[in-house]
Amino acid sequence: MSRSQNDSADPRMIFEADDVAVHFGGVKAVDGLTFGLPEGKIIGILGPNGSGKSTLVGAITRHVPLTRGTLKFLGKDYAGDEPHLVPHRGIARTFQTVRLLEERNVLENVLLGTDSLTAGGRAARRLGQERAEQAMARTGCDHLAKVRPDELSYGNRRRVEIARAIAMEPKLLLLDEPTAGMGRAEKEEISTLMLSLRAEGLTQLIVEHDVQMMVDTCDSLLAMNFGKLIVEGEPREVVRNPAVQEAYLGKQAVKHA
Amino acid sequence: MQELLNTLTLGSIYLLFALGMALAWSTIGILNFAHGAIFVFSAFSAHIISEHVALSMPVLILISVLVGAAMSALTQWLAFEQILKRSTNHRSAEMRVLIGGIGVAAIPIAIVDKATASAPFGFANSTYKTEVYESMGLRMTNTSLIVIITGVGIAVALTLWLRASRRGLGLRAIGVDSETASLMGVNRTAMALGTMAIAGGLAGLAGALQVFQLQAMGVATGDQLLIKAFAMIVLGGLGSMAGVIFGAFALAGAETLIFAAKLGTWVDAVSFGLIFLVLLVRPQGIFGRQEVRRT
Amino acid sequence: MMAWYTANAVVVQATMTTLLLALSIQLPLRVGVFSFAGVGCFGIGGYTAAILYTKFDVDTWPAVALGTLLAGGLCYLLGLIIHKLSGLYLGMATIAFSLIVAVAATNGGSLTGGASGIFGALGGITNLHVLLLLALVVAGLAISEYGRFGRMIDTVREDPELAAALGINVGRYRKLTFLASGLIGGLAGAVTTLLRSTITPAEVNFHMVVVALTVIIIGGSSSWLGALIGAIVITWLPTVLSFVADWESIIYGFLVALAAIFLPGGVLGLAKDLIHRWRARRRPTPPAPPASEAEKIPGGEPSSPATERSLASTQGGTS
Repeated sequence: MSRSQNDSADPRMIFEADDVAVHFGGVKAVDGLTFGLPEGKIIGILGPNGSGKSTLVGAITRHVPLTRGTLKFLGKDYAGDEPHLVPHRGIARTFQTVRLLEERNVLENVLLGTDSLTAGGRAARRLGQERAEQAMARTGCDHLAKVRPDELSYGNRRRVEIARAIAMEPKLLLLDEPTAGMGRAEKEEISTLMLSLRAEGLTQLIVEHDVQMMVDTCDSLLAMNFGKLIVEGEPREVVRNPAVQEAYLGKQAVKHA
Repeated sequence: MQELLNTLTLGSIYLLFALGMALAWSTIGILNFAHGAIFVFSAFSAHIISEHVALSMPVLILISVLVGAAMSALTQWLAFEQILKRSTNHRSAEMRVLIGGIGVAAIPIAIVDKATASAPFGFANSTYKTEVYESMGLRMTNTSLIVIITGVGIAVALTLWLRASRRGLGLRAIGVDSETASLMGVNRTAMALGTMAIAGGLAGLAGALQVFQLQAMGVATGDQLLIKAFAMIVLGGLGSMAGVIFGAFALAGAETLIFAAKLGTWVDAVSFGLIFLVLLVRPQGIFGRQEVRRT
Repeated sequence: MMAWYTANAVVVQATMTTLLLALSIQLPLRVGVFSFAGVGCFGIGGYTAAILYTKFDVDTWPAVALGTLLAGGLCYLLGLIIHKLSGLYLGMATIAFSLIVAVAATNGGSLTGGASGIFGALGGITNLHVLLLLALVVAGLAISEYGRFGRMIDTVREDPELAAALGINVGRYRKLTFLASGLIGGLAGAVTTLLRSTITPAEVNFHMVVVALTVIIIGGSSSWLGALIGAIVITWLPTVLSFVADWESIIYGFLVALAAIFLPGGVLGLAKDLIHRWRARRRPTPPAPPASEAEKIPGGEPSSPATERSLASTQGGTS
């Protein structure tokens, strides 16, 4: 799969943000972002802490009120949606800090991804069960079905959360620092999982600090600073860009670029 | 004019009570539901001792303040601190602190209720004598004067102290953000105990003054005052001491007017209704900073 | 058996009515709505039924039904207005609501009987009737604790933002909770009043909040079963141990405080925990994952969530 830079020939945009801004009082957390997510690609957002990445994810899922701008998903403006309607449109997310129900076992936590998106009844329950089991198998936590989250390692908690999002069978998956706190081997597994989801056509937006992982996994990168988009394009080029190095990497050279 | 005077007296007692509650709530985030019980029990302790020895007003007040401070600090140490230690998230901690406070409150209230057989108690044996001054058709007692001076004096002093001192700064820092506070070298556990002791002392002070002012106190007074204090704090805006002062006198004024209009049985509805009105119309209160109080 | 029942019919009845009241407070707590409006609804239901029965010659069951519906309706309206308030603010607003009901009852003139309340409202309700109504309520609540419905309610309580991100309409859950809580509270009030023949404003006060909380906190707030345990404990304890009857309030106070500190899940939560641990010990270690994944085995690394999850660690300062 070649990483073509040919924007105009790219498949249609599954998601479009136009001049999106989120201000908290005087703080411009996100300030006039315009970008699109091409269908079936993995797009990464790069930026130093406090550059507005997580606020942007919150804006896309409609948890954060917009100051201005429009959001389109599958061509429809959904900026006026309440947060709970967004998953029904086909957008799922994970959180920067893992959020699970500690009193419920892993299987039930993953089932939660299907609960409100499937109707009641026996057939739907069986369908939900199947989806949850598949999602757990893909993320490698199927052997933990009966274990409670508080007995899991940090990396496994992350997996359960990703499994829950996959069980929602979204068209767009937002991953907020999915490999934070993981070792190299675990990061590679997540990377592999993302690539296999892309092969099935799932569009993914990932916020991550590990530049190497981003370069290896993403089709293109958006670099943010002070709530604004500074560069976007092919990962290696974005990482090499002086403005990005200045903002995000300081004076350090990027060995792998 | 007489109404204004009554408002000032009633408001001053409300104020002392509510200040303690607001202090603990806005700085260390503890809404102490035992505050009303502490108010009653400290006054009751002074009453018990005054049964045996004839004591002067300052001594009775001191006893009440000390008992209040001790009870409040003890509640913080034995109950609230333990709950915070065992809580996994803020919301459940808040709920457990409230429920724990309700449980703790039931204990002293039940003791007083049993000891007094539900009858009001007073400081009949005290050496203090009430004097009445009358001028220009206004009736004023020396007790009212003491109550007003103490209430307003302490409120102003506390507000200034919170604004100025380093300790106050640390406290307010906890109120805003406990992490920042710990970076500033504020020892939260000790600070919390101290804050709760001050809050309890204020409840004790309010309790003793209320008994002097009204000659008696009923065991149910505490719970009512608790809800009223909540109304005052919400009206003024949590985190603002000036707001509490405003809230206390506003509520006292409204209640005095209701009494003057011979609608005494409706008097509690004022504070209850006020809670609703403020939370719906201006949830951050009149003096409050913009604060997110909604889920 | 029959002899035992005849001797204890009154206590059985008290257990059932206490349970109904407690359920009306427990349901909102389980959904994460910190509402005590159930106590006010108890008053609304009780007064409505008593007034209809004594002053307007309405039969027992229509009076109970109207009291229940009126309480449910008013509570739903209350919910529409205040469901967005958070935590403590919602709790205090609902306490204020309940106390306003008492003030209104005190000032209701001849309709509500003022401070002395209403007497002589002895309806034709038997313990069997109460048991059937209770079974109905419990069945409804049991459904809401089971399967996907139960999971979604748990999420709405534990993490509303997560719930919304999973597609759950949190606002609707919170509003419907007010309706259900109001219906149960109203039913509890109507049934209790027509059983005891009397209701006074003094009953609808803070003490009732404490009793309901005691039941829930001791038994456990996660399930109706917890409320049943709690109701049995607090109605039977005084009959079994006479010193408990003398020091009732003090003992309840201690129990509530202790449970809030050490047993947030109540007796039921403790039992569930023990069962889970026992099962976990019997369960063989999870099927060995492929060798390359060896590092993922649970417990393979010191679990950081445990440290993350204590509030004391962020609030403990530099002590």
